[in-house]
Amino acid sequence: MRFLQRLHNDQVTSGDGDPGADGLLQQLRSEGDSLLAAGDEAIRRALAGSNSEDFLRTSRQQGGQ
Amino acid sequence: MSTHPANESADLLPRLCGADIELGNFIAGVVRAGGTGYEASRALLAEIDGLPVRHDNWWSSSAAASSYKYNNQPGSSASSSAYAYDYQDVGRRFLLSNGGCAYIDLDHVELCLPEVINAFDHVAAWHGMLRNMRAALHRANESRSPNSRIQVLVNNSDGQGNSYGSHLNFMITRRTFDNIFWRKSHYLSFLASFQISNILLTGQGKVGAENGRPAAPYQISQRADFFEILQGPQTTFKRPIVNARDETLCGRCLADDPSAPARLHVIFFDSALAHGSALFRVGPMQLILTLLELGLVNSRLILDDPLDALQSYSHDPSLQASARLINGEQLTLVELQSAFLEEVKRYAAQGVFTGIVPEYEEIIALWEGAVDNFAKRNLMAAARGGIDWVLKLMVIERSMDQHAGLDWDSPEVKVIDHLYSSLDTDGLYWAYESGGFTRQLVTPERIAYFAQNPPPDTRAWTRAMLLRRATPGSVFSVDWDTITFKMRGRYNWPTYRTFNMTNPLEHTQAEAQKIFDSPLDFADLLDALESDSCNTTLTVDALTVRQQQGEEHYALSTTAT
Repeated sequence: MRFLQRLHNDQVTSGDGDPGADGLLQQLRSEGDSLLAAGDEAIRRALAGSNSEDFLRTSRQQGGQ
Repeated sequence: MSTHPANESADLLPRLCGADIELGNFIAGVVRAGGTGYEASRALLAEIDGLPVRHDNWWSSSAAASSYKYNNQPGSSASSSAYAYDYQDVGRRFLLSNGGCAYIDLDHVELCLPEVINAFDHVAAWHGMLRNMRAALHRANESRSPNSRIQVLVNNSDGQGNSYGSHLNFMITRRTFDNIFWRKSHYLSFLASFQISNILLTGQGKVGAENGRPAAPYQISQRADFFEILQGPQTTFKRPIVNARDETLCGRCLADDPSAPARLHVIFFDSALAHGSALFRVGPMQLILTLLELGLVNSRLILDDPLDALQSYSHDPSLQASARLINGEQLTLVELQSAFLEEVKRYAAQGVFTGIVPEYEEIIALWEGAVDNFAKRNLMAAARGGIDWVLKLMVIERSMDQHAGLDWDSPEVKVIDHLYSSLDTDGLYWAYESGGFTRQLVTPERIAYFAQNPPPDTRAWTRAMLLRRATPGSVFSVDWDTITFKMRGRYNWPTYRTFNMTNPLEHTQAEAQKIFDSPLDFADLLDALESDSCNTTLTVDALTVRQQQGEEHYALSTTAT
């Protein structure tokens, strides 16, 4: 199970049952989901970029402070 | 003097804050033994203008020009004019734009923000500096082939066991510094417990675990795996949760003065991109440090085993892990952070922070809203409120939903982790910021201002203005509290004149603008600045904040020398 789903289930379990609050929450989630979609193209580009293993190999850094 | 309800007499200082933040930099797609950080960092720094100008090969190990040796020796020089190579301080140049500086530390470009007092100014100055750094990145990449482009990551770990810092520097009294590190162990424990609980709001999030820690698909803090002891002065190995490096913030000449303020060097927090996380690195620390200054230390809020708690909390993004306090209570991360918030609110109601922490009511309101989102498990609201680790988690889980076959062990997922923090336009954070997903706590105009201007209410303003006014070749050395100019003396013999800015709260725009507006030649300008209340001894007395009747500013009682 994904972390967000686990957190969501936790919320459902401990929710106060206020239908107004639930509706607002649902609206917020729906609105947020559509805004999250704005990043889908960026995710697609990230995954379509160079070979991931090569990228990670070259991203090695010297330890700093 | 203050009449705050404190256990100790309070000599309150504004929580002046600076920052020195290392970036991840490498050449994407190029494999070299030892990595490409050396080449990438030098190419990037070459695109950042600043003073003093060095025409020699400053990155050569045989003739590096700029050096600033960290040291704890009172009165010793830390001037950038010293000609000795220091691989932790290569090519330091101060910026005419905003009064900050940039240099290379262990093959990482390091950006130092100018001193600010207001936590919201910190957010604006940070994003302004990132904007400038991105322009430098684009210039550096212009002449490079598509197969050897430099990549800059605003993060703190390469996922391969190497970490680099995102440090904050807070001005505190010497008394409080000594209390934390040398006299009162519960002060140290209180501060450590707060810092740990604050990963809830400041963590950037990271795929995987490092440094020999137990495996974790995703964790809240990038840095947590690298803290191995409770306190200590070191920063590159066995990193301490609370850093005890004792360097003067306000002037080397005062290092042996017990009444001079101290610097608390905070190496604990992750780099932040989202505005909320950036603000919560500074604002709540300003409030908690004020409580420490006042001796308002609630020993109930002390973790029994801070290092163990940090691991437990960071490795559990489902927020169910609990840690034991010394009184036997078990608190989750959200509960512990809530307890610190309640402590701050209690004292805010008594006026403790008035005149000490600018916009403290706004900081507390945002803090409360952020913690409340977690208490209600409203992760969407937390992400939209600007908490990096939650937004990154949403991005990664969304990518898993949309691309079959991806799981927490997929290299593609680690790439997304890294690219969340990419400074360039491929950075995933920027996609969500520009798409209006995350709440912006400072306006684009305020960011643009701090990209090109110093904070008006600290000495950074005069530093930047002097660097702009001086002939570039005349700037011999620059440090946070001094600038040395090469002047023409009698018979045109060169002389060196050092302008001191010992007090970080002086030399503000309000004090110095009129002088810079005068038609003075440069020597007369320095004379005027020096004669205009600028030679003051910085002592706690001199910095004692006197609350003006309802006014949100700091009135300093200064002592002329």
